[in-house]
Amino acid sequence: MSRRASWWRAGARLAFGCVAAATLGVCLPRAAAQVTPPGAAGTPVAGATAARGASPAPGSERAPGLELLPPGAARSPTPSDEIFPPQSLPLRFDHKKHVQGLRVRCTSCHAAAITSDAASDRLLPAGTTCDGCHGSDHGAREGARGTGSLGRCDLCHAGAAGAGIARVVVPPPNLRFSHRLHAARNIGCGQCHGRVGEVGLATRDALPRMAGCVRCHDTIGPGQGAAKAECPTCHLTRADGRLVQAFATGPLVPPRWLRGAEHGADWIERHRAAAAEDSGFCASCHTARECADCHDGRVRPRSVHPNDYLSMHGIAARQDSPRCVSCHQEATFCADCHRRAGVARDAASGSRATGRRFHAPPGEWTAAPRGPGHHAWEAMRNLGACVSCHTERDCATCHATKGVPGGQGVNPHPPGFASACAGPLRRNPRPCLVCHASGDRHLGACR
Amino acid sequence: MPERRGLRAASARRAALVAAVLAGAAARDARATELEVDARTAAQAYQVTGPWTGSVLDRRRLTQTLGLAAYDLQGTRRVGAPSYSVALLLRLDADFGVNDRLASDQAGGETTYSGPAAAGSRYVPGLRPAPIDLVYGYVEGRDLAHGWLGFRLGRQVVSDVLGWWSFDGALVRLTTPAHVRAEVYGGFEQRGGLPLSTARYESQGVWRGSHSDFGVSGDSPRLTDYPSYQYAAPAPAFGVVAESVGLGFGHARVDYRRVYDSGVSVTQQFPDARGGYRAIDGLRLSSEKVGVAAEGDVLGRARARAGLAWDLHAARAGSAFGSVEGYLGRRVTLGADVDWFAPTFDADSIWSWFTHAGVLTTTGRVGARLSREADVAASAGARQWYTEGDPTTFAASECQAAAREGRIATANCASGGTFDASTGAARDAASQDASRATTATTDGIANASARYAWPSGLASARASLRVGARGRRVGGDVVGEKRLSGGRYTLGARTSLYDWADPERPERNATSFGYVIGVGFRPATSGALRLEWEHDMNRLVGQRFRVLALLDVWVGR
Repeated sequence: MSRRASWWRAGARLAFGCVAAATLGVCLPRAAAQVTPPGAAGTPVAGATAARGASPAPGSERAPGLELLPPGAARSPTPSDEIFPPQSLPLRFDHKKHVQGLRVRCTSCHAAAITSDAASDRLLPAGTTCDGCHGSDHGAREGARGTGSLGRCDLCHAGAAGAGIARVVVPPPNLRFSHRLHAARNIGCGQCHGRVGEVGLATRDALPRMAGCVRCHDTIGPGQGAAKAECPTCHLTRADGRLVQAFATGPLVPPRWLRGAEHGADWIERHRAAAAEDSGFCASCHTARECADCHDGRVRPRSVHPNDYLSMHGIAARQDSPRCVSCHQEATFCADCHRRAGVARDAASGSRATGRRFHAPPGEWTAAPRGPGHHAWEAMRNLGACVSCHTERDCATCHATKGVPGGQGVNPHPPGFASACAGPLRRNPRPCLVCHASGDRHLGACR
Repeated sequence: MPERRGLRAASARRAALVAAVLAGAAARDARATELEVDARTAAQAYQVTGPWTGSVLDRRRLTQTLGLAAYDLQGTRRVGAPSYSVALLLRLDADFGVNDRLASDQAGGETTYSGPAAAGSRYVPGLRPAPIDLVYGYVEGRDLAHGWLGFRLGRQVVSDVLGWWSFDGALVRLTTPAHVRAEVYGGFEQRGGLPLSTARYESQGVWRGSHSDFGVSGDSPRLTDYPSYQYAAPAPAFGVVAESVGLGFGHARVDYRRVYDSGVSVTQQFPDARGGYRAIDGLRLSSEKVGVAAEGDVLGRARARAGLAWDLHAARAGSAFGSVEGYLGRRVTLGADVDWFAPTFDADSIWSWFTHAGVLTTTGRVGARLSREADVAASAGARQWYTEGDPTTFAASECQAAAREGRIATANCASGGTFDASTGAARDAASQDASRATTATTDGIANASARYAWPSGLASARASLRVGARGRRVGGDVVGEKRLSGGRYTLGARTSLYDWADPERPERNATSFGYVIGVGFRPATSGALRLEWEHDMNRLVGQRFRVLALLDVWVGR
């Protein structure tokens, strides 16, 4: 029995540990390590596709750590698939050997980088760039085979031994970017691409992270230059000024560290504060129409009001969850339907159900003294719910001062109201005059 | 077979790469003036039952929206250069079920006061069977004067810490290089009863609408027949805004807005001895609010956000919120949120000055992105409702005061004896500070949600719990959607189970099970059709059905 219990305990511990670790990302593969390594130099890697991930330097068994990756990689281990679509790099290349060993400058191979004004410019060196040193001839119609060992196709091209040269596919980034402007501000390659000179093949992992971009774009003062941390500075925009969001690799959504606006599973419940704080940020991607579809909607959004909401909306309104006034003007939207259904107190005589009462009996709901079931408490807690059925006339029936037709003189005001009423009376006397006669002593005291 | 799968995978990869290239290239084109037409037709049919049997409304609704926009009116678009655009969204919301349930002797009675039946016996003032409104319609200029100026002219929506609001008028935006932007706007608040308008954006508490068919003939309603139904009139409004701009580490915004009521408003709710009603006329305050909100980075590992909307007229906070979230590892986000909400009303409304309190909601939450496809979130907390006085003891203190005056026997206080509490010591006891001490009741709230999305589909689930003295509501739903043939066809389903209990009205307690089945068809790149069937069942209404058809057509979107 005890052995079985210990097995259970061990199993439970293991399961809990795995769930916790998976949740924290410990036992799941690191995003940065999700690579199809092109292999170490000299090893055939036919068909290798570096779709993502950093390449180990020759002789190293490990992919480069954070220290070699671009700034911001701690927050975003891999670059965005939407901004930098997956690439196919069936190549072998050793940046470390070229940059550190042979002292080749970045611009020796990527000469166009310092004059490029568009992110779509192709800045990878053409094969002919390599010919000078490798002795190959990429310009030759029949092929680029060189004569020496440095000129062998399969030295650089994966799959060259048998199946022919696999094509390098690097889709243009979905980005607005000028290498020229950055270079002109003396921003070195490594400031965006990390220590790319110390890795083997530079893959997508050497591409910039947004978290790294905003490190400079966020600064205040001359260091920032003209490029503020506004979305269209870098992101592609539509004709209406919003960001292009639909890409073949998925929709563009904000990372969690950006304005705390991660559109997670509970975003529908949390987005209110973000929109209230900075709707302009929301408008980077969303139109007023998208907001109106729910907040002034005429088709019930099921993500907000689930199935059969008509049956349960009464108690939802009592709990004010979701908050009715987020989308509805209660005196019209709610009350119009309640009047038609005969629920509202001022429903037309033909719609009212005779002998039916929505609330508790009058002895409990309206008559003094004020017991736990008295309407006063409900009104104090959730006055908005009252408004969804009642008009001023219903309340003035009792709360108007004696002397005003219908008035019973039941004071609805909070303590201390008499000393604070002068301003409201001056700015708008209308509500006062609903319950008080113009010569009323209370109004006189207020004035 | 494995080889074939490999070939297929390689083909799919190549196709994805080509698509990515094309999408990227298409997105980068600079174009001349662009036009967008966007139309949605929504047809819905369902029934609404009242809380008592025999009261059933047929809703047969047809909602037609039409959006038109033209961008880059100046011609070729250049980033940072001036650009001009126009955009509008019109909406018709017809309900063919209005009047439909009425017997022939009451035909048209919901929207027409006169008729063969008793005058107004079914009449609902302000109810229109097919209202048309302009959701927005404006001309916009951006990046004028080297990026310093922008404007909008027409009907527009403003969303800020003061709420979601709409007005007809002009907005001018000044953006400085010093990370500060200022906005000034003015015009008229959108109000129900005015042409092409809805009441959605008015302050709460006032029932307004057109009285155009009032008092026009002997069998139409008199101007004073519905004293609570106020006259719609233009509502002048203006506002100013200052906010930070272009700072990724944080943002702050300050808003001020003032709206006026104008025109005639009936004040007296019951006729005086001569049968007359008093009214007030002229310009008066409708609402005056100031709001401040800010959000920012905390040490690179957390974000904090806070906001406050202060109603200057009511001298109280209408809403306030604060939240902080921290990042635990690369996948987990922990957060805490606090939210305060107190109803505020139009300055024309008597409820502005009724004793009422706010609601404080405090929650903790956790969210985890398990993978690129899957994420989960959960939150739990408390919602506190406040009253001035303790509902459980208030009546006893009133009664004991009355007993001291000999108006009721002390022994009867415990048994719920009645007396006139509006006079004497009972009234005094009710107004004493000790009797009006703030008392809170607490509801428990919890939410959980999970989502798994893949390129051709989505599966999600959510559950919620609301429990406390004000009732219990618990349940959840599961949603699935699958796109077939590259999105040409869509299949969807949603099933839900909810249970609720309301101590105030136990006869309305019920358990509901419902499901929705939907199919979609996208015959072209500029159109989509979706049909949904909803079937809900609970003991209150038996079986309830709802059908929904959506037709979307767009050009240039």
